[in-house]
Amino acid sequence: MGNSSVAKQLVDAIISDFPDHEPGTRPVHTIGVGVEGYFVASEVARTYCIAEHFNGERIRASVRFSNGSGSPVQHDGRSDVRGMATRFHLKNDAATDLIAMTLSEFFVRTVEEFLDFTKASLPKPVQKESPWRKLLDMLQLKLPLPDPMPGQTMGADAGMLDYANRHAFAQLGISQAATIGAPTSYARASYHAVHTFIVTAPDGTRRPVRFSWQPVAGVHVTGPNEPPRDNYLQQELRERLRQWPARFMLMMTIGEAGDALDDPTRPWSDRRVRVVMGTLTLTKVAADQAAASEHISFNPCRLLPGIEVSGDPILQARRDAYEVSRELRHATACPFNRS
Amino acid sequence: MSTAFDHADVQGNILRGYRQRRVRHLVLEIADRTAARRWLAATVSDNGDGVPQITREGRERWTTKPDTCFNIGLTFEGLAKLGTPSISLDMFPKEFVEGMNASAIKLGDVGSSAPENWPAPFNEPKRIHLVASIYASEIAQLDRVQHQALGDGKALKLLGACDGWISRDNHVHFGYRDNIAQPRFAEIHGPEDHADGQPRAPLGTVLLGYPTNFEGLTWRVPERVGHNGSFNAFRVLAQDVAGFEAYLTETATYLLTHPDVDELLPPGAEANIGEGLSRHAALREVVAAKMCGRWRSGAPLALSPDKPTHNVTANNFDYVGEDASRCPYGAHIRRSNPRGGQIVQRVANHSRRLVRRGMPYGPDYDPTRPDTKERGLLGNFLGANISAQFEAMTYDWINLGLQDPRVTGSNDPLLGANDPATSWFDLPLKSGTTIRLRGLPRFVTTRGGAYTFLPSLSAIRFLGALQN
Amino acid sequence: MPSNEGWLDRFVDGLPSNPLFMFLARRVLVPYWAWRTPVTPQPGGPRVSIQPGDNVQCMMNLIMPLKDKSPIGRANAAMAISQYKDEIYAGLDNVGTVHFARFVIVDDNICMFSVYDGDFTNYIRDFITTIGSVFNAVVELVEEGEAVIPCEQNVEAFIEWVHARDMYQVPDLATDILKDQKGDKAGSSPDDLRKLPREVVLQLRANPNVSLGGGYRAYPGYSAAQVRQKFGVGW
Repeated sequence: MGNSSVAKQLVDAIISDFPDHEPGTRPVHTIGVGVEGYFVASEVARTYCIAEHFNGERIRASVRFSNGSGSPVQHDGRSDVRGMATRFHLKNDAATDLIAMTLSEFFVRTVEEFLDFTKASLPKPVQKESPWRKLLDMLQLKLPLPDPMPGQTMGADAGMLDYANRHAFAQLGISQAATIGAPTSYARASYHAVHTFIVTAPDGTRRPVRFSWQPVAGVHVTGPNEPPRDNYLQQELRERLRQWPARFMLMMTIGEAGDALDDPTRPWSDRRVRVVMGTLTLTKVAADQAAASEHISFNPCRLLPGIEVSGDPILQARRDAYEVSRELRHATACPFNRS
Repeated sequence: MSTAFDHADVQGNILRGYRQRRVRHLVLEIADRTAARRWLAATVSDNGDGVPQITREGRERWTTKPDTCFNIGLTFEGLAKLGTPSISLDMFPKEFVEGMNASAIKLGDVGSSAPENWPAPFNEPKRIHLVASIYASEIAQLDRVQHQALGDGKALKLLGACDGWISRDNHVHFGYRDNIAQPRFAEIHGPEDHADGQPRAPLGTVLLGYPTNFEGLTWRVPERVGHNGSFNAFRVLAQDVAGFEAYLTETATYLLTHPDVDELLPPGAEANIGEGLSRHAALREVVAAKMCGRWRSGAPLALSPDKPTHNVTANNFDYVGEDASRCPYGAHIRRSNPRGGQIVQRVANHSRRLVRRGMPYGPDYDPTRPDTKERGLLGNFLGANISAQFEAMTYDWINLGLQDPRVTGSNDPLLGANDPATSWFDLPLKSGTTIRLRGLPRFVTTRGGAYTFLPSLSAIRFLGALQN
Repeated sequence: MPSNEGWLDRFVDGLPSNPLFMFLARRVLVPYWAWRTPVTPQPGGPRVSIQPGDNVQCMMNLIMPLKDKSPIGRANAAMAISQYKDEIYAGLDNVGTVHFARFVIVDDNICMFSVYDGDFTNYIRDFITTIGSVFNAVVELVEEGEAVIPCEQNVEAFIEWVHARDMYQVPDLATDILKDQKGDKAGSSPDDLRKLPREVVLQLRANPNVSLGGGYRAYPGYSAAQVRQKFGVGW
């Protein structure tokens, strides 16, 4: 693949941000859990997109929830982005993936900016700010730097903040990531696919769209003053799904001329037409976690006729980066659908 | 407050058009306040000192057209630079004070049309103080009057000039005959003159100090300089003729195989559209007509839906009780002037009318020898209140399409700020179905302009006599 | 670790909820920073945009302080509105671009909250044409209202007056507040993100009444006329 050296660079850059990364695991979103369920499109979905999973039939789905960090040490309760990767299983072993995270925008716009950003986010030693420094900040009505987590000696926050202060486009993503907190359940967070895709309707109309998963149970984050627990999300999900299924609505926002189509750092206004494309119902945590969480490999560019990538450079770069990462950790390949 | 109307106090070309063949707009900066005031006084003095005289309106249409006509407009910066008393300056409306550049987003001057891309002299809007317009039939005449107007250069500095001319009988570069419909005024036109299916417009449509189209509303008349004045949105509008013709061609190709095309143009009807036209060529003309609301000859679709037979200057029609398969509700002339047709903003019927005094500029386009030279329209859109008329029409009728839910979310096919990825235009058919055209690019790009105030003769006299 | 450092740590960490510090912040710090780094009051209403979705279902949040700040004053305002109910409805129907509108009295303010399509000035101007008499009756009861009534003869001034009392819509994205304050100047260097809380406090000092974001819409992107047309109730 022509871009594999860039892709390798990207993967290596990400891994470098997590010095305790274990080879053979994902560079980010290392810790996760696989879940089974099914997706049923709404009655209007097929009028916007001809892709097979929107035809209204019950489509088997595999989902992997994850914590954003690339470190093998689990800290569910720490402030971190969460991921939700969904595979829609179609006829004849075909499949399409939708990868989403709890941040509604990304930090950077291009591959070059991403490499800069990963350099800036290399963990540096952190220590608690001196109380005099904090007092000075408060007198200036400024936010003091957050204390490191108990036991944390290295952190990326300072580097990311510095990057945000130098690059206006990154401010939103970084400031939201810094305050995102921890959800009380993987099933109680909103996940956004961030990138723009182009969907084709039966009459040939092409529309730029962005997808989001909205939890039917609503969003709920752990309180900021609660002491963070390291390991609760996967158990919570098991217990939850034993009692009742978790549902997510797939919302599709239609972009207009003038919206940032190829810029993942800019979320779209909520004054755009919003279409309910369907409901995802999660029924149980997969029994074989090795297959459902570790060996499975998703790719945001694993698409079908009816959905195409936009010109978003990060989206396009992810295609090869995910392939490189999959090879590095010897995960199962899923052949790209030949159209 | 509406006094007896004195025609001679109003500048010409506002209530009645000149119908001259050529125009030159001089974009001027005031070099010296005192000299400029003297210059202004001289333009209305009837003896001139060589300075061209302001052409004024008359009670009757002139029997012999003068060789040249001369009129001026002042920007807010110009009025301020002249030392207009602040009591008057404070009474000018906000959009005029801030200038056309500040209204860029409202007017759709974004992207390639944005003021940042405007060439000189429009890239320095604060220096534009006065736009002097010379009308004549020969270039030599334009040159002569320009020479007289600039004189020794002490009063006014020339920043740039825009020349326009009509080469074919009133046709604009997109090939349509233009300038057919203008508001009729009781003080000028008899009740049956140029009957156009629209009520005669009150003077307050275009002049300050008179009842307006809005029932009960009057505009603020700036002290000493406002009465009998008018506002003008001067716009340099480049037209992408090659792109327009290319769009017609590709649309006609698309339509040839469309399942509903026979409703749009019955087979065999090609000869009605024009002699010897192929089906493809006839479809091109049908699409061009539907996008404008008039055939390129000028015949309105509302009267001649199937073929351009009507007298080309026929104007006596309305959009009431007729079906949209005649004139699409998104067609340009209907979007910009819905007449008595059904619109969402019901109180606004007839309220956003404009007097248009535009002239094409740039060389004629020869389809056999396509080129990319700049050509277009030097537009003058006159009204008594820029915000209520020109801006209101441009913002939510030309673009956005709020006046009709069937066009809401789309822009004017000819003039609108279209992005080919999302633009659309509907062709309603007699049976009730619609053919939706997509991919319209932006055909008209703004290359400059200014909001100017066209003072009355007495206002010019007042400004010329200022002493401070 | 020396014990007094631990004590200072805890003290400083607890300051944000310390009543003395809050008093200090309110009375001294905020006015000081407002003087040191002044922040201009932002204009009200939605931002100008040419995108279709941004031009339908626009919010107007109008706050008009009553002259007579007593139950009698409020009763007068209430009666002025109820007396003109027919006019208001006819006007709203014929302006055609209004989704929802309501008059609300909060403390000593008569407020109007509405959702409309299109340009603010066109909306108010069309209103003046149809329900100018209602505006005159209501604005007469409002502070500084005499300057702009009768609104039919002071159209431009009345539109400005209403605009000045339309709330600033704080951007949905906090970082956009910084952009608003800078005036969207392209190429200006980004601010220190940690100053965001101060900028928010100072902006809310300059604009005490604000709308938080543009609001939630169940069916964004459609005009009032489109909704009526699609539901077959005529427009």
